[in-house]
Parts: sequence; structure tokens; C-alpha cells
Amino acid sequence: MHPATPAPADEPTQHNGSLPAGGLNRRHLLRLLAGTAIAVPAAGLLAACGDDEPAVDPNAPVTVSFFWWGGEARAKLTEEALKLYTSKHKNVTITPTWQAFTGYYDKLATISAGGNAPDIFQLDDNGLAEYAGRNVTLDLSKYTASKKIDVSNHPESLTKYGQLGGKQVAIATGENTPAIIFDKTKLAELGVEAPQVGWTYDQIITWGAGITTKSGGKYWGLMDPSSDYKALWLWLRAQGKEFYDGPKIAFTEADLVAWFQLWVDARAKGATPPADVCHEAVTGSVATQLVVTKKAAVSFMWSNQLSEMQKATKNDLGMTAYPGDPKGQWARASTYWAASRTTKAPDVVADIINFLANDVEAGKILGVDRGLPNNLDVRKAVSDALTDQKMKDTVAFENEITPKFGPAPAPPPKGHSGLRNTLRDIAETVSYGKATPEAAAKQFFTEAASALA
Amino acid sequence: MALTTASRPALPVPAPAPPPARGRRKKNYASRRSEGLAGYVFLSPWLIGLMAITAFPMLLSLYLSFTNYDVLSSWEFVEWVGFDNYKKIFTLDPTFWQSVRVTLTFGLIAIPLKLAASLGVALLLNKERRGVGLFRGMFYLPSLLGGSVALALVWVAMFNREGAFNAGLSLFGIEGNNWINDPDWALSTLMVLTIWQFGAPMVIFLAGLKQVPTELYEAAQVDGASKTRQFFHITLPMLSPVIFFNLLLETINGFQGFTSAFVISNGTGGPLGSTKLYTLHIYDKAFTDFQMGYASALAWIFLAAIGLITIVFFSTGKFWVHYSDGEN
Amino acid sequence: MARVRGWVRVLALLGVLAIVLYPLIWVLGSSLKSPTEVSSNLSIWPQELTWSNYSDGWSYIPGVSFGRFFMNSIVISLATVVANAISCLVTAYAFARLRFWGRKGYFALMIATLLLPGHVLIVPQYVLFSEFGWIDTPLPLILPKLLATEAFFIFLMVQFMRGIPRELDDAAKIDGCDPYRTFWHVILPLSRPALITTAIFSFIWTWNDFFTQLVYLPSVPSYTVPVALRLFIDSSGQTSIGPMLAMSVLSLLPVFLFFLGFQRFLVQGINTSGLKG
Repeated sequence: MHPATPAPADEPTQHNGSLPAGGLNRRHLLRLLAGTAIAVPAAGLLAACGDDEPAVDPNAPVTVSFFWWGGEARAKLTEEALKLYTSKHKNVTITPTWQAFTGYYDKLATISAGGNAPDIFQLDDNGLAEYAGRNVTLDLSKYTASKKIDVSNHPESLTKYGQLGGKQVAIATGENTPAIIFDKTKLAELGVEAPQVGWTYDQIITWGAGITTKSGGKYWGLMDPSSDYKALWLWLRAQGKEFYDGPKIAFTEADLVAWFQLWVDARAKGATPPADVCHEAVTGSVATQLVVTKKAAVSFMWSNQLSEMQKATKNDLGMTAYPGDPKGQWARASTYWAASRTTKAPDVVADIINFLANDVEAGKILGVDRGLPNNLDVRKAVSDALTDQKMKDTVAFENEITPKFGPAPAPPPKGHSGLRNTLRDIAETVSYGKATPEAAAKQFFTEAASALA
Repeated sequence: MALTTASRPALPVPAPAPPPARGRRKKNYASRRSEGLAGYVFLSPWLIGLMAITAFPMLLSLYLSFTNYDVLSSWEFVEWVGFDNYKKIFTLDPTFWQSVRVTLTFGLIAIPLKLAASLGVALLLNKERRGVGLFRGMFYLPSLLGGSVALALVWVAMFNREGAFNAGLSLFGIEGNNWINDPDWALSTLMVLTIWQFGAPMVIFLAGLKQVPTELYEAAQVDGASKTRQFFHITLPMLSPVIFFNLLLETINGFQGFTSAFVISNGTGGPLGSTKLYTLHIYDKAFTDFQMGYASALAWIFLAAIGLITIVFFSTGKFWVHYSDGEN
Repeated sequence: MARVRGWVRVLALLGVLAIVLYPLIWVLGSSLKSPTEVSSNLSIWPQELTWSNYSDGWSYIPGVSFGRFFMNSIVISLATVVANAISCLVTAYAFARLRFWGRKGYFALMIATLLLPGHVLIVPQYVLFSEFGWIDTPLPLILPKLLATEAFFIFLMVQFMRGIPRELDDAAKIDGCDPYRTFWHVILPLSRPALITTAIFSFIWTWNDFFTQLVYLPSVPSYTVPVALRLFIDSSGQTSIGPMLAMSVLSLLPVFLFFLGFQRFLVQGINTSGLKG
């Protein structure tokens, strides 16, 4: 659907000349299965191989399709920034399409399978390796090396978090950090201090149990994050461990048992609500968080979600780091820009990505909607111009925690998007009391072995 | 036999065979040939659609079920893996068995109840009175909501701990559960949702009731048959093709149910996989795990199972479905 | 006595109706809740009436009003109604009434196309339509319906046609009608209930269909109502539940009116004796 100009039959749309000739290609597949009943139109069929680099006239008209997920505010900002680009590059037409997160990846996968991947599209670290690892994305290393995409003024760890197998597969759209968001109004009502950066898990659990007691038992201290991969990941990293080592799980069954046990004990102490209440918030959607529905004082979120959560409740919200040593944190991409390997205008695509990442005017338009801007100059300019108090809080939080960051790990490997659901479902068997931490951990490792294979 | 006229359609008598005559047979042959030609003429849009649009995706998915197709890698990397996917499904996939259990429980309870509700309401709303259309419309309204995102919010508001259902229960002094978030009850809330949207079979029943020739009832009344007798001897037999249709299609659609389960569990099939219908498992494998080959194998296993049920339905249908065209 | 029983029946019906409609009234009530209330207050009554949800929702999407989405949905739904009604009726006539070689086999194939879960067909279908060059056009949403790809409606019509007494065809045959004229003069007039049912469902199901429309509609201005409704809730970030519920309420209106309009034609229409004559 995306490329507004259909590919002529003689243009290379798949670059795989080096593959064994015996491999199946789509033309064969179609012929094979369709028999003669279908008149397959000759135009539009994919040619299996061809010249890799057609001659490029920098001023020839180019159409670039552009796809992201988000809400209405993001749509406004992004379309405006893209208009700024096309006003400076008259030969470029950008066809933007957006939708909400639900269904985004389904559509992206489907149109990619049909050979119509958008020229530029948004990914998150859950999808990055799925797409880059299957060669859907364009290798941007060439452009970062030649500074056509200039990452020299980006935090190094943020750039690194867009690399897989030594290739720059995507550029972060901005920096974002997991953060706990808490209900200040409620804490003041109960006369409880706010949680702090660097609290241990034991500290926050004891603190949470205190809230539950003080409120009389129908309001809880904190959400149970045991089913949340990013909480587990930070917990591991705070102890100097890792979630993944390349395509494998880096932690042990004993680690996972300890993690599950930590939250079994927390529930026993009354710090977290029963499993059925936690399940209401388990998908991470802003509107169902226990802080918003006023069932618990703490939700485990992302720092850039503060402003949106604040709109859903009258109580004043605050934010701080996840418990544990903040060295477990790193400059994390909130989302990425990736390009399609089959794009017909790779240079233009790279230039647009560079524009969005480094242009100050574009940065001012985009603001902190996709996290703090990568480029530190842009970041400064954007931060100074903010008016929304909660967005300012987000920036202040990022600035506070950035110096404490540890080194960036590699993005999660292929298979991660399924595995994090596996973790969610298995962790819930523990919280619902249907499995012991030991049995659940064992089950997780069995399923992980086949998911990552 | 008081009810001869009324029960006639229940036992259709084939028209007496014409006496064998040479000329007649020849003419028959010609007309049969022209009928055969007409058959293909009328069938042609569907045949073209089958060959050009429907068959290819189905056959491709059958082929893919024997491969490791992962959606995103280019087609050159598709490898034939024989029966591996099928073997894995039956031996190494606990979620498969879980989803089969959930789907069977769901289907065996929700489908009959939905059919009963729709038939009952259709019978109540069959008589043309003032405002009956509005009543039909209002009973249809829940189905109009379809798989809308609003459903997710509504069902939470009805069936979580603070929900409307518990408010109702508390009137009787009962303290309710967190139904929709309780692994033992979440499936029941999904069944209630499915039954609640009974509009489609209701309309089909209504349309079927409209097709029962009024003269049958008139004749029965003349014969002094009671309402109950009329129902069992006229309405039910005359409605049986439509009952058969609804039974079969609700079974197929019920076992294929996806959207409402997906929407009210926010795509998780939770809690604890208790609402993970078979199609949700297919979806997870296809679009979350990118194992489209595997998902296709799951889908073809489903096709085989539901195909078997369909065959059973058609063969038992001979005994209870009465067609006015005199065939079975 | 009969009068009392009639009243009891009406009351029972109203009671059932109240329960059935309660969730929808909840949607209506919640569509008037403010953003800070909608997640935390599950009751049916809004604390403060926020009518602006309706105006906000209508113009929520930058540059495209909700009216546009309604138009897109109406066009696609009506086209589907017409395409399904025509193509499925002729196909059903072949299956229900005509004898030709391979009929039973084709019928079984037709039923079989109903049985495969759709999620494994999305990608192959997309690939196919992409080969046809149909991407970026509304063709994938409409053209297949003209080729009777909706087996549900074919089977529905077959079941209805088989309820039409065969003596009518035979009478027409004796009067010299060939299969085409029999179709036109006998079957078509008597297929009204089936056609009305098909029209109602085609419209409503297309109106509510999310996934195919999501995949094949190329840009925001071409989105339909169900696709547009999901723009309000981005689970990872911005969520505007109130306006979404408000637009959900509005989106029920066209289908409700379509239903009311069409169900009126579901009247006792057949009096076969007149035709038997």
C-alpha cells in the first residue's frame, strides 16, 4: 500500500543476487499454486535479482512513504515536521500514514510481506530485531559513517542501542527511560514520603506495604511488575547481570526464581494488590494503570508517559527511577526510525531521518513526544521551550538520571516480542497462585529455548 | 388425520414420475443440458472468484503450513519442513491443548445458548405489531457494536469487582467476584458477551419465519390445532433449513471467534490463557512470534476438525431438515 | 385474563431489554465523562456532563473530520451490500435449483472456504492483491464481493431458496420458462427475506470490519469508521477515551437506521397459493 508509485517490473525490489538459484521466489510460488487459472499481471511481479544501484539524480521527483503509530498529538507534530522537510526539498513528496499501536505491527508485517514496506517506519526495541534480523530494514551504517546521518552529537549508548550484528539498523527517535509514576496527592493524604532514586526493592516493598496498611487495605502500595520484562531486565542489570546475551537468555533459572519470589513475598506483605487487580493493568496501557484507576500508588511505566497519565487523573503525579541501582538504566530508544531495504530512494530516506534527528527546527516541532531528542543541542533547545509542567518533569528526571546510566546492552534479539508475552503469562501463573516460582521459572526456560531457537 | 394439510410440508411428497415416453425423455435430456449450461452461467461469478481470489490464499496457506515461513524474511528463505509444524503442535505446544480446551468449553456452552436466545426472541418479535421493528432494532443493538474498542471498556465496567453486575448482586446481599480478571470466570464473561450479541441469528430466524406460508397456519386453525401443535408441526419443520443454517454457521463462527476475545482481553487471551481461543493462538503465532508456517498448520488442523463437524451436521441434517424442494 | 397475560409478556420483554441495553446505555453515559473521570469512575452516570467529547471527537484527527470517515464507511458498505446481494443470489440459485455436473463438489468447496481461520489468509491475500496491482485502491474491499467470495451469504440464500416449493419452478417450466426466466420471475421475487437479511448483514459487518480495512486503506483520509475509532486509543501513549466513546455512539446511528429501514421489508410476503394458481 505504501509506495505511492508502484514499482516498475524491471526495477530491483529485492536485493538477493547472491542467493542460491534453487531458492523459492515469489513468482515461482504464485505460478506453482495459481496454476493457469490466475492471469498474473506481468507488471508488479518481483524480479529476483538486478542492479543494486540505479543512477540517482538528486533533484528527480521522489515519493517517500512514512508510517508510524501514535495518537493525534504525535500525528500533528510529525506531519508538521515532514512538511518542513518537503518545503526545503521541493522534489520530495512524503505520504504519511499513522494509526494507533494496536494493529500497527500486524499491518506493517502484512504489507512488508507483500513487498510494500513503507520507505520509513517506526519501530520499538521489541520489534527492532524481528525486522532487522529478517533483513527488512536498510543498513544505515554507510550513512552514519559518512555523516549523512550525523550521530556525532548523540549519546553514544543511544546510537549503539540501534545496532545489531555490527550494523546500524535504525536511529532512535529519542531517549526514554523506564520510570515509576506515583500519586503525589494520595501520598500526601496518607502522610507518606515519596519514593527516591536508588531505593532498593526491599525499601520500596516495605514502603508499599505501609501505604496499604495506612489506607485500610483497599488501596495498595504498588503494582506487581513481576510480569513486566523491562522491570525484570532492570532488576537484573542493577545486579550486574543481563537479560540477553546475543540471541540467548543471559540469566539463570535461579535468578528468575528469586525475581518471582521477591513479588510473592511483596504480595504476602500486602505491598501489591491481588493478581486479579494487577491483571487489569498488565498490558501497560495508560488508561488502565492502577494509579489512574486509583487502586495503587505506584505504576511501573516509561518516563515519557507521565504527561499523558496526568491527563487521565485529577491527582498530581510524580516520577522517579525504578528501584535498584540506577546503573541498571541506560539511554534507551523510545522508538526508532527504520528504513525499508527495498526503498527506491535510500539517500533521500537517510536525509529525512537525519533531518528529524538533527534539525533544530524539526526538533522543536517534534518536542519530547518520542522521548528526549537524540541530538544534545536539539535536546537543549527543546527542553528550554517546554511549557507542559509534566513534560518538564520528564526532562528533569532524564537529566537527573542520565549521569548514572550504565552501558547500553544490545537490543533484544529475534523472538523477543513473543518471549515477553511468555514471561507475562508465566509470571501471572505465580501471582494467581497456580504455580510455584520454581515451576514457573522452569517453564519459562523451556519455552524460551524454543522461542529463541 | 386432522393435520394432513399442515404437516404436508414436513414430509414432502415428490411429484409422481412422468410415464416413460420416448419423446418426453428426449426433451428432458435437452432441457437437462440447457439447465446444466445455465448452472455454469449462474455459477460463473463464484467460480471465477474461487479460482482468482479464494483458492490461492487457501492453497498458499496449506503449502506454508509445511514450511518455516516467518512473514518478514523474503520468500527465497522459505524452507520446506515436512510435517514438523504439525508434529510440534501435537507434541510440544501446551498452549495448543489449552486453547483447544478453552475453545471447546466456549463453543459447547455459548453456541447453543446464543441460538436458543435468538430463536426465542425471534418468535416473540415475529408478529407484526406497532413498534415491533423498534424492539427488534433494540435487541439487535448489541450486535451493532461488533468488535468495537468500546467493548473492552464496557465489559470491564460490567464485570470487574466494581462493575455493574456486582452492583446488581449486592442488592441481594451477594459479594461478587472480579469476574473478568478471574481465570476461573473470565471465559464466562466472554460467553455472556457472545450470547448478548445474538442479533445475527435472530434476524435470520425472523426472515425464516416470514417465509412460512401463512396458508399452512390458516389450514391448521380450521382443523382446530393448538398453538403448540402448530409450532411443532408447522413452524419447526418449515424453519428447519434456517435452523440448520444458524446451527452450522454459529458453530463455525463460534469456534472461529476472535474479535471479542481479543478485544476484552486486550490481546492477551488472559488471565492465565483462560480466554485464549484457538484463533488467538493462531494470531499470536502468526503475528507476534512470526511463525506463519506454524500458524498455517494450526489453521489447517482447525479446518480438518471443523470440517468433520460440518460433515456430521450435513449427514444428520437428512433426518431433521425438511426442504420444500423435495430433496435432502 | 388474556389482557393481563399480554401485559406480563410486555413487562418481561421490557425487563430483558433493560438488561440487554444496559451496557449500551453505559457507553452513552461514559461518552459524557471527563478525561480525568472516565478511567476511574465505572458508574453509568457521569459526574459532570462533558458534551465537548462529541465536538472534540468529531474533529479529533488533524485535518480530517469524522464526517469523512462516515462517508468512506457508507460508500464501502453500500457497495458491499449491492455486490453481495447480486453475486450471492445468482450463485445460490445455481446451487439450490439447477442440476449440473459437479454441483455437490462445488457446494462442498464453497462450504470449505468458510472453515479456514482468517488470520493465515491475510498475508497470502495481500500478496495476491499486490500482484493484481490493487494496493492503494479500494478494490480489495469491494471487487471480491462481486465474485461471490462471501460463502456465508451464498449458503444463507441456498437455505432460503430450498424453502421455496419446487412446484413453482415446475409450473413456470410448464409455462415455457427457461432457467433464466424462472430465476427472474419466480425465485427473485420470492427471495426477498434472504436478500433483506443479506443486505442487513453485509452493511453491518462491513461497517464493523476492522482488519481488512486497516490493511488495505492507504492513508488517514481514506480510513473508515472502525479504523478511525482506533486512532483514539494508542495504548502506548495518548488515549482519548471520552471522544472515542462519543464517536462510537454516533457510529451506531447509521447502522441502527439501516437496520430499522430494512427490517420493515421482513414481512410475511409469501402466499404461495396465489402463485400456484
